[in-house]
Amino acid sequence: MQLQHADKLKYIKVSMIIINLIAVLFVPGFIYITTRSIYDHFMARDFLQNVEAIPNDPFQLMFLAAGLFIALMISYFVREHHTDNSIKIIYATIVADFVISIAIIWILNFNYNGVLFLVFANLITYAKGNKGKYLLMFLAIASFLIADFDLIGLNYPLYSIHDYIAYYDANTQKYILALYNLMISLNMVAFIIYCIYVIQEQRGTIDEVSMLYEKLTQANEELQDANVQLKEYAVITEKIGETRERNRLAREIHDTLGHTLTGISAGVDACLATIDKTPNQTKHQLELIAEVTRSGILDVRRSVNKLRPDALERLSLESAILELIREMNSVSGIKIHFASKVETLKFDEDEENAIYRVIQESVTNAIRHGKASNVWISIERESPKLLLTIQDDGIGCKVMKKGFGTRHITERIEMLNGTVQFDGSDGFAVHVQIPIRWGEEYD
Amino acid sequence: MIRTKKNLFMILICMLLLGIVVIYSYNASRSETLEIGVFVGSNWNVANANSYTIMDKAIEHFESQNPDIKVHYYSGIPKEDYSEWLTGKMMIGKMPDVFMVLEDDFNKLASMGELKDLSTLMSRDTGFSKSAYYQTVLDTGTYYGKQYALPYEAVPNLMFVNKTLLQKEGITVPDNDWTWDDLYSICTKVTKDTNHDGILDQYGLYNYHWTEAVYANGASLFDKDGRQSFFTDERVEEAIKFVMKIEGVNKGNKVTQEDFDNGNVAFMPLPFSEYRTYKTYPYRIKKYTNFQWDCITLPSGSEGNNTSEINTLLIGISANTKKEAAAWAFLKTLTFDQDIQMDVFRYSQGASVLKSVTQSKEAEEILQQDMEESEKVIDMILLNRVLEEGIIVPKFQNYTEAMAVAENDINQMIEGEKSIESSLKILQRSMKRYLAQ
Repeated sequence: MQLQHADKLKYIKVSMIIINLIAVLFVPGFIYITTRSIYDHFMARDFLQNVEAIPNDPFQLMFLAAGLFIALMISYFVREHHTDNSIKIIYATIVADFVISIAIIWILNFNYNGVLFLVFANLITYAKGNKGKYLLMFLAIASFLIADFDLIGLNYPLYSIHDYIAYYDANTQKYILALYNLMISLNMVAFIIYCIYVIQEQRGTIDEVSMLYEKLTQANEELQDANVQLKEYAVITEKIGETRERNRLAREIHDTLGHTLTGISAGVDACLATIDKTPNQTKHQLELIAEVTRSGILDVRRSVNKLRPDALERLSLESAILELIREMNSVSGIKIHFASKVETLKFDEDEENAIYRVIQESVTNAIRHGKASNVWISIERESPKLLLTIQDDGIGCKVMKKGFGTRHITERIEMLNGTVQFDGSDGFAVHVQIPIRWGEEYD
Repeated sequence: MIRTKKNLFMILICMLLLGIVVIYSYNASRSETLEIGVFVGSNWNVANANSYTIMDKAIEHFESQNPDIKVHYYSGIPKEDYSEWLTGKMMIGKMPDVFMVLEDDFNKLASMGELKDLSTLMSRDTGFSKSAYYQTVLDTGTYYGKQYALPYEAVPNLMFVNKTLLQKEGITVPDNDWTWDDLYSICTKVTKDTNHDGILDQYGLYNYHWTEAVYANGASLFDKDGRQSFFTDERVEEAIKFVMKIEGVNKGNKVTQEDFDNGNVAFMPLPFSEYRTYKTYPYRIKKYTNFQWDCITLPSGSEGNNTSEINTLLIGISANTKKEAAAWAFLKTLTFDQDIQMDVFRYSQGASVLKSVTQSKEAEEILQQDMEESEKVIDMILLNRVLEEGIIVPKFQNYTEAMAVAENDINQMIEGEKSIESSLKILQRSMKRYLAQ
């Protein structure tokens, strides 16, 4: 379809060239033939009586016109067949076309200016959407308007083909005039058809673009849907993880605490039955129960340990924090500076958990929302409180918004009767105060 | 592969075109023949046996000074065909480089841009001076203030005087400052019926044209470029009234050429060329043989001088000549060279356009040479004066048509068929419309 269209355009352009070739050769050719006739019939003096100007040499004029038209053709071929699609060549040839057309119009003394339509046609086809196009278009239109025989003829003596047509008898004049006007009209008609095709083609391109745009919009919507689905999926995944954790917890409780409590319950029942008859055996039984209970406590502790966060499960708080920093540094390329003024970072589990979680959450926030490159973590003791500060050099945030994990941090700290302050004015800072139960370790 | 072939083909075509252009321009510049456009015979419609003598001498002179340039002209073009020949050449683009320009053709050729503007050539050439020419004569070659041709030969109008007739009537030949009143009084004196047959057979004036009265009264009919006419000028009206008055002396009789040739008319305006032709051998035996005659100025009107019309033969250069320098040199040889201009007196019937030549003793001697011993040569002071004071009739593009209209109207006025004052106003109006077209 596209190729067919281009072919049609080419045919119209070629026919325009042929019409122009005929017209450009007709003017000097006709003048030459008429001049010969005038000369041979000794009518020169009479002919000149009513003529303002004549071409210098009609014979030479024919060759000059033909030569210039060949130059126009060369420019056309260079444009149509140049190998690299350079805009420079297109512009150079269009400017050449323009100059040659003006030269043709000039030597033909404005008797035929239709050759400018060729320049118009090429301008419309080739020069697309930039300043040069409009400048050339303006020049071409301006010159078409100015290059009018009647306008120029007001001030300069020009030879007119009509003077030469008037040499013949009235009947012949009619036919020649008709032929001459037919050529001018044909050229114009061809140009209009050409314009219509170009407009059609450009409209085709616009349709194509809008179709592609529609496709893109659709793809975008699909992508958004997928994104929403993915988010939902993530929520579901989280839920599943939570459920699995609950099940694990339930199983753990059932396996350890349940088991132990069942044993204790059964043992105590047995003791109740034997306590009056055989106190010694009961005593022994109670000792066993105490053992089971202690073992149960151990099991519970182990279970609770198992439920503690990843690193904390295995390591001390300090090591866990350092491990976290190392991981973050290696994963994100952020620089995390850690300074602790507390000698041994050993607190109750819930406190350690809170501290660890706050640090983890804050650093994550600094990376994800603050786009920070440095994070400073400091832990200080201000008896009886522990001061924890996480400061980053990211973009901060002028207005505090809920979310971003700050809610979790607040909840955790409030559970320990601590306070949290967020400051987003210079980077982002989290100031945490926790009343530590110093030395109230229970082990 | 196909593309390279195509490109090669294009390059070949370009080179071919370039070659044609180069060869063409080389050939054009190589031909060193200067084409000249001249006609055979006299510009002044008098017989001339020495048509090409001056041209041949000028060419010889020019070729000896410019040995690398040949000058060529087509011989045998009669004057009446010359305009057609020249315009024909012009149409087919074969205009000669240097050519004679008839007065009637000058404005047409200049307006069509066929004549080279000589201004730069004249000012650039230090050996050339415009002031050597008679100013009015030089002005015939101007169009809208620019010099497009140089005068080659000038012919002023003079007044033929039948000395024998005046002597018979006891009247002295008028001097060169004579007036309309003098003319009128002589005419009334000499107009009579000599053989007493009841019919007038001796007249005062023949062939006096109303335009001659207009020019002698200091008026002109058109401006130089034919954009304005001045028919309502009082001096024009006065001149026409004078012509009416002097025609009235003949009492309705028509004076004929025969009357004049038979010596029965005292005055007739005559171009200097005819004076020269029929005053000298061999043509003097053809006309005006049975009486003595001479020439004086035309009589002056009350508002003017003894001014008469000067006709000139101009020479121009083609605007498209490729041999500008040679063309200019040859044009200068013809119009500015003292020897060649002296030949105008020697071999032609006009007067030289150069003041120094016309005023020279040599010119006077040349004029005297072929005259009969008894004849007094034309006064060189007179010739110089008519050339200096003469007026140029503007031959603009539609001059002939415009004059035909005026001629018809004014002749009717002179014949008393129309009132002069109102008719002139009507004529002026219609002329204004005609010129505006």
